Amino acid sequence: MLKKILILTLFFPVYGIAQSFTISGYVKDKSNGESAIGANVYVKEGMIGASTNTYGFFSLTLPAGKYTVVCSYVGYVSFTDSINLKENISKTILLDPKGKDLNEVDVTAEKTDENIQSTQMSSVQLDIAQIKKLPAFMGEVDILKAIQLLPGVKSAGDGNSGFYVRGGGPDQNLILLDDATIYNAAHLLGFFSVFNGDAIQNVTLIKGGMPAQYGGRLSSVLDISMKEGNSQRLQVDGGIGAIASRLTIQGPIKKDKASFIISARRTYLDVLSKPFFKYVRPKSNFAGSSYYFFDLNAKLNWQISKKDRLYLSGYYGRDIFKFKDTESSFSVNVPWGNAVACLRWNHLFNAKLFSNASISYTDYDFSFTASQSNFELTIFSGIKDWTAKYDLVFIPNPKHTFKTGVNYIFHTFTPSNVSAKQGETTFDIGKIIRLYSHDAAIYVADDWEITKRLKVNAGLRFSYFAQVGPFTRYVKDPLGKTIDTAVYGNGKKVVDYHGLEPRASIRYSFTKSLSVKASYTRNYQYIHLASISSVSLPTDVWMPSTDLIKPELGNQYALGVFKNFNHDMFESSVEVYYKTMKNQIDYKEGAQPQDNVFDNPDNAFTFGTGEAYGAEFFLKKRKGKFTGWVGYTLSWTWRQFSEINYGKRYLAKYDRRHDASLVLTYDPNKVWTFGLVFVYGTGNRGTLPNGLFAYEGGVNYDYGLRNSYKFPDYSRLDISATYTPDRDKQIKRKQGRIERRYERRGKDITQIKLPRAWAKHYQGSWTLSIFNVYNRHNPYLIYFDAKGDFLKGDYTVQGKQVSLFPILPTITWNFKF
Amino acid sequence: MRVIKKISFGIYTITFLMAVVLSSCQQKIDIKLPEYKEKLVVEASIETGKTTQVLLSMTAPYFGNVDLSNPARFFVKGAFITVTDGTIIDTLKELDPNTGYLYLGTKLIGHPGGVYLMTIKYNNNTYTAVTNIINPIPLDSIYFKAERDTFGYCWGHLTDPVGQGNCYRWFAKRITKDQFFAAPFNSAFDDKFIDGTSFDFSYERPPQPNKESEYANELNAGFYSVGDTVIVKFCTIGTKEYLFWRSFYANKSSNGNPFSAPANIQSNVSGGEVIGAFCGYSPSFDTLIIKK
Repeated sequence: MLKKILILTLFFPVYGIAQSFTISGYVKDKSNGESAIGANVYVKEGMIGASTNTYGFFSLTLPAGKYTVVCSYVGYVSFTDSINLKENISKTILLDPKGKDLNEVDVTAEKTDENIQSTQMSSVQLDIAQIKKLPAFMGEVDILKAIQLLPGVKSAGDGNSGFYVRGGGPDQNLILLDDATIYNAAHLLGFFSVFNGDAIQNVTLIKGGMPAQYGGRLSSVLDISMKEGNSQRLQVDGGIGAIASRLTIQGPIKKDKASFIISARRTYLDVLSKPFFKYVRPKSNFAGSSYYFFDLNAKLNWQISKKDRLYLSGYYGRDIFKFKDTESSFSVNVPWGNAVACLRWNHLFNAKLFSNASISYTDYDFSFTASQSNFELTIFSGIKDWTAKYDLVFIPNPKHTFKTGVNYIFHTFTPSNVSAKQGETTFDIGKIIRLYSHDAAIYVADDWEITKRLKVNAGLRFSYFAQVGPFTRYVKDPLGKTIDTAVYGNGKKVVDYHGLEPRASIRYSFTKSLSVKASYTRNYQYIHLASISSVSLPTDVWMPSTDLIKPELGNQYALGVFKNFNHDMFESSVEVYYKTMKNQIDYKEGAQPQDNVFDNPDNAFTFGTGEAYGAEFFLKKRKGKFTGWVGYTLSWTWRQFSEINYGKRYLAKYDRRHDASLVLTYDPNKVWTFGLVFVYGTGNRGTLPNGLFAYEGGVNYDYGLRNSYKFPDYSRLDISATYTPDRDKQIKRKQGRIERRYERRGKDITQIKLPRAWAKHYQGSWTLSIFNVYNRHNPYLIYFDAKGDFLKGDYTVQGKQVSLFPILPTITWNFKF
Repeated sequence: MRVIKKISFGIYTITFLMAVVLSSCQQKIDIKLPEYKEKLVVEASIETGKTTQVLLSMTAPYFGNVDLSNPARFFVKGAFITVTDGTIIDTLKELDPNTGYLYLGTKLIGHPGGVYLMTIKYNNNTYTAVTNIINPIPLDSIYFKAERDTFGYCWGHLTDPVGQGNCYRWFAKRITKDQFFAAPFNSAFDDKFIDGTSFDFSYERPPQPNKESEYANELNAGFYSVGDTVIVKFCTIGTKEYLFWRSFYANKSSNGNPFSAPANIQSNVSGGEVIGAFCGYSPSFDTLIIKK
């Protein structure tokens, strides 16, 4: 396979310019050796440049000559060096993190107009340091909540980390953690995300104009990089929050060559809530319940040689929920979570040709065991992937960046399966159903600067998907009775699909700070998640494309204007998009979770189309004591299914006409940092009963048209303040106290040794976050409280709204040494 | 059956509980729903040895300034209903023309193997439905098992004939204590899981019609107790009728349960804006005296 790709790259036109040389290498944080992702490396002469990839690698080929090389990266002191380029130069650039007070004396001419100059549109990169300054719900830094503050990305409301990008569903986002797919990014039904902020380095979200190296999802890519571990010294970070504690250890295994990081987090909600249950209702159903989750992130990286690097990353997390009804013998045990591992190998063939090979494994499992008396029933489901990937990046000169690669995934799906036993007897309810499929893709792309003003990124991706046996298809009659079964043997093809996915974006810059971009993206999605309820639950089941489920197909057109002001202090953009989605999936009306059992889950599905369009406005201030952004989205999202809503088009659940967010951080001095987040959104849509009637002496409901009811609007203000004591002052003060003591006792001051706890590296900080400052009662769900009997004439009904979180202050203590 | 069906409910309950545990606040809200057009509600049945019985009413708007204290205003008066098995045409009689609502057959009596076509003419609309009475499949036995103290559920032992497509519905009443045969929640099931097997299942004691709220406040709601004499009416029903009842209970459970998909009822009556079913029952009866 490697050979084929190498041959493929040979077909690329070679833009050799006589007497050109390459300066290439890595950009790193000097203090801890972490790779700087998306840093700009350029030469002042002609302002020609490149930016680093996800491994911190850059390559810049220029005619021989003398240059001033500048490397700039937000949050770091710019690096400048003079070089005489008469041979290939390999260089590791180490950047100094900017001290807070350096903010104003920053005089280096930064090339921070990447947002204007790159062909990539509809994309945002967030640095974890930036996210950490924002108010955190219950003190838990959450990158999924942070990206929901960007225009075009919608949250489902409180208690839901599923996100909706430009009208697409939560399963249409490809979430990658160090190149491995994460299938369920939520803890506790979405109150928290699985990404522990202490282990994360960088987050990139692409919501449109998806480059050809990504595929398999219709709506977005969320690419998350884990920290590599401090390669300079042993470092311990931790925190104690309102609901969870965290601890991260990182350090060099061999200085500058190999490092590691291990990060763990666990909640203690279970411990805290027990007395609460006892107090509220001593004999209640809750008394036997408990819930907790934990995460473990680990990563090793090893620089084998100048040209080879190995990365091994892993994630393991579990949610565990237990419920015991103390009155009856009904009890439930529900564990679920992800396990992910990825091994990557970066290899530099030469200064212009970078490669990355990776093998990864991901597993998402859910199980639910209920027992009553001696009857026990388990439902379990999950998805497991083995992935192999190979990518090549070829940068012949600053005008071209070629990318090509292949990837292959073997999926194993376990849709809801059931096992049951009563006493000693195990019920035979069919063998475990698993679905298998091959999922492969190959792509080529070129980022080509045609003229100074015009730049094009053109790519083509070809994807192939095959469902293979063992598989049993239950064939149904119109009333849902099984009339036949078709059995496919091991490895035998059930059905296959393939498709070409052209991708293109174009940038035209009018000036250095004003450009227009347009993009077209076509995507196929071969795996699907259908959700019965209105929120994403861990019970939702992933399904492959099968003979019944056709691949989802998305087409997106986007157009945007990008303008920077005031020496790139402000960046702004307006983007409009139009998106169509085919073969969307939903459950048929009245479908119930147990329908999956002893059947193909896809028999309960119905298929339709989606359409989304809107405009996004974004203004960001990125320098100074005040930083932050304002985002506003005006959008429409439609769905149409022949078996839902009598076949009529309806607004999707998360159709949101207006969605606005304001994010501000203020760094007045070394000691204090303040954060503020304000969000406003049109209410979600839902289906409520419109009428009622008596049937068999009970009251029943007649539901209205699908999603015809609009929930009240959502709004919320969060603020935070972080106090970081000035360590130098503290140490000085301590030293002064000891000196005075020594003087009193007549000891030699030069003999003073500070206690270990006063080591220079120690740094503590306190963060106060206030969630929902004005205590807005945002709707989480609406239900009806009905009393009496209709036919007796004493029936009354009252609509009730449940809100999850009132004003909620939390204090978190973080430390580092 | 109870436990299997309870699972989905269980999943939802748990989610709901978690939400409520974490929730701080619940508040009353005014809900403004779009304009509502009333629908005809048909509750019709025929069973072995009995004539057709039909209850006709209209749906009431869920919210709004509608007076619910006089439910009789939703009863349908003056509908013209016929039921035929192909040879006899039975015109149903309105029991009390002043109130409407209840219509009874006079001469066509249900029997296993019969196929029945019902036609309703009302308000210039015609509604039709077809049902049939299948051969009965009796329970092997019924028994009582205590859950706590002297309270427990009523259990049945059933041998399902080989071949998918058998559907059942369970009714029960306590002699002297209950007036009517009533069906518990999720009282209808098919043989998807249990085709051709012998198995045990249980049902709780159902509320009597129009006594749901009283029942909800009963100390031992759902339980039978020592001293009760229970008659179980176990019926075989058709698949379409089963699908109606399944959607009926899905609809019931989705109310107040915001986690479920909204479920519209799959009526087997056609002819416009109508909800309901014409259901043929093929019952077999068992009596259980619960002793210590």
